[in-house]
Amino acid sequence: MKHLALALACLASPALAGVDEALDEHVLPRVKTFRQQAERLAERASEDCTAPALRAPYQDLFDAWMGISHLRFGPLEEDGRALAIGFWPDTRGMVQRTVARLIADEDPAVGDPEAFAEVSIAGRGLFALERLLYDEALSDYGPEDYACSLATAVARDLSRMAEGLSADWNDYQGLMKDAGENTTYLSEKEAAQALYTALMTGLEFTKDQRLGRPLGTFDRPRPTWAEAYRSDRPLRNVVLSLEALRELFRTLSDDPIPVTEAAFADVLDVAAGLDDPRLAGVEDPSERLKIEILQQRVDLLQDDVAGEIGGALGLTQGFNAQDGD
Amino acid sequence: MQRRRFLSAMLASASLPAAGWAAAGDPAYLAAARTASGAFELFLLDETGDDIFSIPLPDRGHAAAAHPVMAEAVAFARRPGTFALVIDCLRGKLIRELEAPEGRHFYGHGVFIAGGDVLCTPENAYESGEGRIGLWSRSEGWRRIGEIPSHGTGPHDIRRLPGDILVVANGGIRTHPDAGREKLNIDTMQPNLSYLTEQGELLDQVTLPDDLHQNSIRHLALGPDGTVAFAMQWQGEVTDGVPLLGLHRRGAPVQLADLPLSEAIAMKGYAGSVAFDGAGDRVAITSPRGGRVQIFGNDGRHLETIRRSDVCGAAPSTAGFLFSDGMGGLLELGEQLRPLQSRPGRAWDNHVVSLRNATT
Repeated sequence: MKHLALALACLASPALAGVDEALDEHVLPRVKTFRQQAERLAERASEDCTAPALRAPYQDLFDAWMGISHLRFGPLEEDGRALAIGFWPDTRGMVQRTVARLIADEDPAVGDPEAFAEVSIAGRGLFALERLLYDEALSDYGPEDYACSLATAVARDLSRMAEGLSADWNDYQGLMKDAGENTTYLSEKEAAQALYTALMTGLEFTKDQRLGRPLGTFDRPRPTWAEAYRSDRPLRNVVLSLEALRELFRTLSDDPIPVTEAAFADVLDVAAGLDDPRLAGVEDPSERLKIEILQQRVDLLQDDVAGEIGGALGLTQGFNAQDGD
Repeated sequence: MQRRRFLSAMLASASLPAAGWAAAGDPAYLAAARTASGAFELFLLDETGDDIFSIPLPDRGHAAAAHPVMAEAVAFARRPGTFALVIDCLRGKLIRELEAPEGRHFYGHGVFIAGGDVLCTPENAYESGEGRIGLWSRSEGWRRIGEIPSHGTGPHDIRRLPGDILVVANGGIRTHPDAGREKLNIDTMQPNLSYLTEQGELLDQVTLPDDLHQNSIRHLALGPDGTVAFAMQWQGEVTDGVPLLGLHRRGAPVQLADLPLSEAIAMKGYAGSVAFDGAGDRVAITSPRGGRVQIFGNDGRHLETIRRSDVCGAAPSTAGFLFSDGMGGLLELGEQLRPLQSRPGRAWDNHVVSLRNATT
C-alpha cells in the first residue's frame, strides 16, 4: 500500500524541468519577436518620427516586451537592459523629468547612438517613448522638432538593445543547457531554478505592481500609477504577461499540469471579463472589486504553481530572497 | 573589571586542553544552512568551503558569534527567536542553550568582548520596544550578568571595536512577537548606528538624512582601519534605488555609497550582508532579492557587480571575499569570481562568519 502510494505520487509529478524546451520554445522565439518588432519601430521612425506614425509599432513592440519582461536574469540584466527597455515602476517620476530635461536642453546625444546609450535609463526605452507619443503636452510635435529626433533616438536605441539581447541569448542559452559544466550555472538544477524564479517573480510582479500599484488602498486608489496607462496598456499588459508565463510553465513541465492550467484559465477568464483597458475602475467601488478579484486570483495562481510545479520539481523561491532579515 | 574577566577567561581555557580553533581543524568559516533533508545545521567550513563538520540546530539559524580564542561559537535563531546555542566546535556538542529573558528576544547576532568572556546579544524589549544588549558571562557558566541600552529600536547586528567599544546597528523598526515580523512604526522609524561602552554609555551616534529615515541600518562589517561598513534595508518602494551601503569612521561624516541607477534599482531596496575583503580594500553588499553582489572600494566607489541568484552570505577570505547562496553555492572573489563548492539541495543561510577575521 505504501509502495502504491509512492508510485502514484511519482506518476502524478511532472518530469524534470524542461530547460531546453523552455529555451527553444519560449525564450528564444520571444526574444526574436522582440528584436524584430524593435527593428520595425526603428525603421518606421527613420521614415516618419511623428507620434501618429509610431504609435502602432510602439504598441507591437510593447506586446513583444510583455513576452520577455519576466526573463530578469542573464542577458536582460546585462548593462541594465531590463530597466533601460522598460523603466517601470517609476516611483520617483524620473521618466517625466528626464524626458523634459532632454527636450529643454535639446540634448545633442540624440544625434549619436553611442552618446544616447549613455543617457539616463529613465530617458530611454518604452516609457520615454510613451511620453512622446501619448502625453498630450508633447505628442503633437512636428517632423522638424527636437522631440521627433528624440523619438527616433529612443527607437534606434531600443533596436540596438534588442539586437544585443538577442546576440547575448544565443551564447547564454548554451550556459543554461550545459548547466553544471560552467561557472554560471553550477548544477543542472540551477538553470531550472533560474527559470522557475523568473516565473514566480513574474507572477508576483503582476500581482504587486501591475495590479497592486493602481489599486493602492481603498481610500487612495492610484489609477495613474498603472503601467503605461497613457497608451491604454494596463490590462493588456496583465493579460499578455500571464499568457507568456503560462507558455513558460507549459514548456518547463514535461507532464500535464492540470492545476496550473485551470488556475491560469480562471485568471485569464476574470481578466477577459474586465472592460477597462486602463484599470481606471480602481476608483469606482464596484469596478474596483473586479480588479481586486483579479489580483486575488493571481495570488491563488502562485500557490497552485508552487504546489504543482515547484513542489514536484523540488524548486522553491529563494531561501534568502524570501526571508528578509 | 575587564582584566579580571580576561584572566578568568584564560583560566577557563586552561582547564580545557587543546580547545582552540586550531584543534577544531582550523575552520575558516561558520555558516548555518538548511540541508537537503530539510534539517537545519551549523557548518564549520575550511578555506575551500569543504565541510569540517556540522552541528544540528533546532530551527532555522541566522548568524553566529565566534569566540576569539576557544573553539566555541554561539548560533542564534533567526528573529524573533529566543534561543542561542553555545556550541563546542571541537567536539560538536552543545555546551549550553541560552534563553532570552522574559520579554526579550534575540535578533540573530552577537559578539564577544572582554577577551571572550562576555557575550553581547542585541535584543528587543518588546513591550516598550526599546533595544537592549544582553550580557552573558562565559566564565560564570553563561550566566546573564546584565543588559545595557542599545540607544535605539531594533538592534540587529553588533561588532566590537578595539578597546571593547561596541558598535550597534539599530535598525529602527519596532516589532512585537505577537505580530510576528510585522513592522509597527514604518512612518516614524529612526535607525541609527551607535557606539557604546560595555557599561552602555553612548559615545557616538550616527543617523541618516531625513529622506532616508526608512533605510533600516541592519548589518555591519569592520575594516582594518576601524571603518564601519553598514548595510541597509529600504522600507519604502522597492524600486526607489536608494543607497544601501554606508561607511563611517568615528568623528567623520557618514558616506553613502552610490550605484549606477539600474544597479541601484535592481538591488530591490535590500542588502542582506556586508563584508570587507581579506585585505580591507573592498566592501561588498549582497542582495538575494536582486540576485546581486555589489563591490565597492573602501572609499565607497562602485567597482563591479556580480550576479548570482539568492546570494546572501558574505565574508572576507584570504583571496578576497567568500559568498554563499540559497542554492548550495560557495563562491570566492579574488581577482575573478571562482566557484568553490556546489551542493544542490543545501541552502546557505543569510550569513557566513569568518573565523580568521572574526575580531579585528
